[in-house]
Order: sequence, then structure tokens, then C-alpha cells
Amino acid sequence: MDHNSNSYIPKLAKIIEIKEEVGGARAVKTFRTQFIEDNGFIHKPGQCAMLSVLGKGEAMISISSSPLEKDYLQFSILKMGRVTSALHETQEGDVIGIRGPYGNSFPMEKWKGKNLIFIGGGIGLAPLWSVLSTALGKKQEFGNLALFYGARTSQDVVFKQELEELKNKMTVHLSIDVEEPDWKEYVGFVPLNILDKKPSPKNVITITCGPPIMIKFVIQNLQALGFKDEQIYTTVENKMKCGIGKCGRCNIGLHYVCKDGPVYSWAELKNLPQEY
Amino acid sequence: MDKILLKKAFPQWVKKLQAYRLIAPTKDGNIWIYEAVTTPEDIDLEFLTTALSPKKIIFPQREVYFEFEKGDNDNPEIKETLPEDDPTIVFGVRPCDAKAVTLTDMVFGGDFEDVYYWKRRNQTYLVGLACNTPPNPNCFCLSVDGSPHSKDGLDILLTDLGDKYYVKSFTKNGDKLLNLAKNLFKQPSAANKKELQKIQTESEKKIIRQINNLKKVPPKLKDMWDSPFWDEEAMSCLRCGICTYMCPTCHCFDINDEVHSSAPLKGQRIRTWDTCQFPDFTMHSSGHNPRPDKASRLRQRIMHKFKYFVEKHKNYQCTGCGRCVTKCPVSIDIIEVLEKVRDYGS
Repeated sequence: MDHNSNSYIPKLAKIIEIKEEVGGARAVKTFRTQFIEDNGFIHKPGQCAMLSVLGKGEAMISISSSPLEKDYLQFSILKMGRVTSALHETQEGDVIGIRGPYGNSFPMEKWKGKNLIFIGGGIGLAPLWSVLSTALGKKQEFGNLALFYGARTSQDVVFKQELEELKNKMTVHLSIDVEEPDWKEYVGFVPLNILDKKPSPKNVITITCGPPIMIKFVIQNLQALGFKDEQIYTTVENKMKCGIGKCGRCNIGLHYVCKDGPVYSWAELKNLPQEY
Repeated sequence: MDKILLKKAFPQWVKKLQAYRLIAPTKDGNIWIYEAVTTPEDIDLEFLTTALSPKKIIFPQREVYFEFEKGDNDNPEIKETLPEDDPTIVFGVRPCDAKAVTLTDMVFGGDFEDVYYWKRRNQTYLVGLACNTPPNPNCFCLSVDGSPHSKDGLDILLTDLGDKYYVKSFTKNGDKLLNLAKNLFKQPSAANKKELQKIQTESEKKIIRQINNLKKVPPKLKDMWDSPFWDEEAMSCLRCGICTYMCPTCHCFDINDEVHSSAPLKGQRIRTWDTCQFPDFTMHSSGHNPRPDKASRLRQRIMHKFKYFVEKHKNYQCTGCGRCVTKCPVSIDIIEVLEKVRDYGS
């Protein structure tokens, strides 16, 4: 990245595809974007980008596409605040602003030869998707791949079609929180599904993204199954404005999540104050 | 470069300095503020601590990042609005406020350089005035590695020697400003140097407020995260944020888009000062707030200034100007808070 350039100016990108993942009160849409002018934007799995809807503001969103995908950047966005609501109102062909990529990334180089277990809840599948699809794209570099994914209801499951296709490529354990008539898979919270399936910790790295409460119990249950702190990776989010460690609001202790995070191993995160 | 400038020659030097935008302390009612001056008489060098430090000249309270406009069919246009070329002298900077600029330099520099900050910073000259007597009864610069005659951040430091100024230039830029009126400056005599020394020593003795052993505070803070101390200290806080808005070292900011309701597709993206003392500063859009109460926000303010910044930048993020102590409407006194931290548990 050219650090002498103006970090605050977004680059214009066209929304080339919008897919509704979840409707209703917890609406999620997936956006695929292409920069109008090539600008050398190259991200690593786990990194985020600051999306602009001009006139509304900016929001930091994790990039859900793999860097192996050269044709577009993908973001899956839960409608939550001012900017994400404005994004949900955009149409294909609309132009938004993007700056970044920001933050650290999953240390996939260190994971070569290991089995990877991805554990996601709700919209937490979006940040996982970038690292998961990168691992799939370089399958020969890793051992077995598996995914645990849960949502509140079957309606809240994101990437429904992709998950069906994924079942041909890796082990997929789906769950929803409460019973529904046509649901054939696990019923219960994601951490309980992990205890139910009892994955072995041997030569495994786990990557978990989701609501803080889910992450907390996923980690507890992984530890109960014998996983070490160094085998557990997660992402943290905090309110962000600048993305470059200056505006002063996303810090956890002396770490700025926008710059030093969002990816942490539990070995690192457990020593930081609970300020997220 | 050491020089002597007679006070009666001072207006002539100021006239030369007006080749630049010249900003200096001026009296406005009961307070002093840094403002552009047009005549030497506008400058009041008998000033007490100014309401705001000169931070606002380099890091203004409102900065426009860019202007944007979107037609109905065209792609939006973004027009970067960098600060203009406008070389500026800030005259009469207190050493604490000049040192504070070296601290904001650390924040806005580093691996992502903030182009707005540096455009202003690189064309700003800082001409200091030593504090022969503390300009604020709550001055405590000596406790935070500063002094009333420190040169940190300054191009030039003036010390009042009665009918003359002892003028020290520390940088090439400082020399340049002296050379604008070369003939006004004389070589200091041995007696002048002796007098300077005496005034400097005396000025330090006049600073009443001190925190002994502040170096014990950063390691102490390590074990105080969950302490009820923060609740007790923050009890009276009104969440007004004045401690941070007046602070010469605080740098937190917000970024927002400003549009007029009649033209929602045309507007500006702006940066404005913000403060960790406001409840919504860290609030997620979900409503979750990692710093939900006054205690956690006071803790952040103290931890940032006396632990995180020390670990990251090897400096306290405080220069002892005393503004936050003087201005706090409920008398939360950072000196007392730090003394209590130092003595906590012992």
C-alpha cells in the first residue's frame, strides 16, 4: 500500500450483484463490487474494508470473498445502522466507495499441513467465508476441512446455496437454535453442536466468528475438548471510524482493532482487557 | 543559535514575520486565544494559559476531507480538499503545548501518514515563550518530563529578561525566522546567559503542583483494570468531555458526511474532534457498548495517557498544561487521580 497517499479518500466501486440472503428484521444481503478504476487493492483473508455510501457515511465491513477471486470483492452485510441500512437500499449498478484493506489477517502460512475447523454463527460466516474459500482454493496445502455453522432459525442461515454445494467438498455441521418441522440437522446452539460432534484437537486449527456470546462458549467448549489457546483463532469487532489507528475508538488496551486486529488467537486475546 | 532581542525592537521583527500567516495569543474578554494577528499590538505576551492550545491550528476541530457530488446518472465525483499552502507562524507557544505537538506527530505519523495533519504541520513554525511564572496555577509540566523552558517541538524559544528577550533557535526554520530581521538581533553577553540560567531555575521553583514518582503509575495501572477505583473517581463526571476538548494532546476524532436535506447527493465528508468521554463514542450499531459507563471511560482516558501511549510511544500523553484540571466543572483533578493510582493498594 502507498502510505503517502490519502488514506481517507474512498475508491469508487460499482455494485455488480446483490443477493438477498435473509429477509425480515435481521436482513442480510451479499454485495459483489468491482472498482471502477484498477487501484491495486489486494486483501488477505480476515481483512476488512471501509464502505462508503456518500451522504450517509462509512462502515467497516469484513471482506467475505477470497483474495483468489480476482473479479470482485464481496461483502455480506447485516442491516443494522445508518450506513448498512443505506447499503441495503442500493441497487445493482449503483456506485459506492471502498477504502482499505485494513487490519491483520489469518496467519494461513502458519497453518500449512493442519486440519482446519471453521465455526460460525449468524453473519459471522461472512468473515469466515474469505478464509474458508481460500483454504478450499489451496486444498492441497491443508489437511481436512470442516465447518460448524449455526443460525437462530433456518430463515437466518446465510449462503444457503453455497453451503449445500460446500457439503460435497468438506464436512458441514449445520444447526439452528430452536426446532423447526423440516429441519433435519442439529438443533441447539453452535457450542453445543461442537460438544455433540467432539472434533479431535490433534493437528487442528479452529477459526470462529460470530456473536460474542457464541464465541465465548465455543472457546470454553473447545478447551473442554482439549484444544489449546494457540489452536483457537477468532475475530473481534469494535466501532471504527478511521481504520488506520488514529481516531481512537476501537482500541482494546493498546491494540487498535482496525490495525492490530481483527484476527487474534485466543492465546493473544485472553491477555487483553475485555473491552469489545 | 542564541540571540538577544530588545523589546523595543520586537514590533519590527513581528512586521517581518507577517510575511507569513501569523497567529499569536490575543486577549478576548477574559480569556486568551490563538488568533491571526495583523499588528504587533494585537499580540499579548503577558498571557495566561490560552483556552485552547495551538493544536487547533494543525489539527483543526473541523477538517473537510473531500467534497462529493452525484448526478442522477453519473458516477459520484470525489474532490479531495487538502489544506491550502499557507505557511504559518504560531507565536508565543508555551513549551507544554509545543511538546504536545510532538505527541500528536506520533499519532498522525507512523505507518499511515495523515496527509491533512502533515500538510498543516509541515508549514507551521512554532515560536515559543518560556513560562517565567506558571501561566496556570495547575501547571505540572515538571512531573511529566517537561519544563517551563523546554524546547521540544519548538523552532525558537523566547525568554523574557525584562527589557529584552533571550532568543534561542533550535532548527533551520528558526534560524530562517531570525534572519528575516538579522540586524535586530544581538549576540548575548555572559551576563545575559547568566540571567537566563537564573530565570530558568527560578521558573521551575514556582511550579507548585507536582506528582512525585509518576513513573510508578504505568506499571500500577496494569493491575487496576477491574478496580472499584474508577467508579469512585468517575462518580461526579458529567460526561461533558471538556477535559479532552481542551487537551493539547487528545486526538480522537469522528468522521461524518454533511449534506443539506435539499441536496442529499452533494456534500462534504468531515472530520471533527470527538472524545472518549462521550457515551456513544464506542457504541456499536447493535447498541452494545464496550465502555458503557463513566468509570470505564475515565479508565480509558487515564490508561491511554499513562499506560498505552507510554508503551507505544515512550512518552506520557500529557504535558502538564493543567487545562483539564482548571476547566473540569466537577473538579476531577488528574493530578490527584494519578497520585491515588500511584499510592493505590499501598
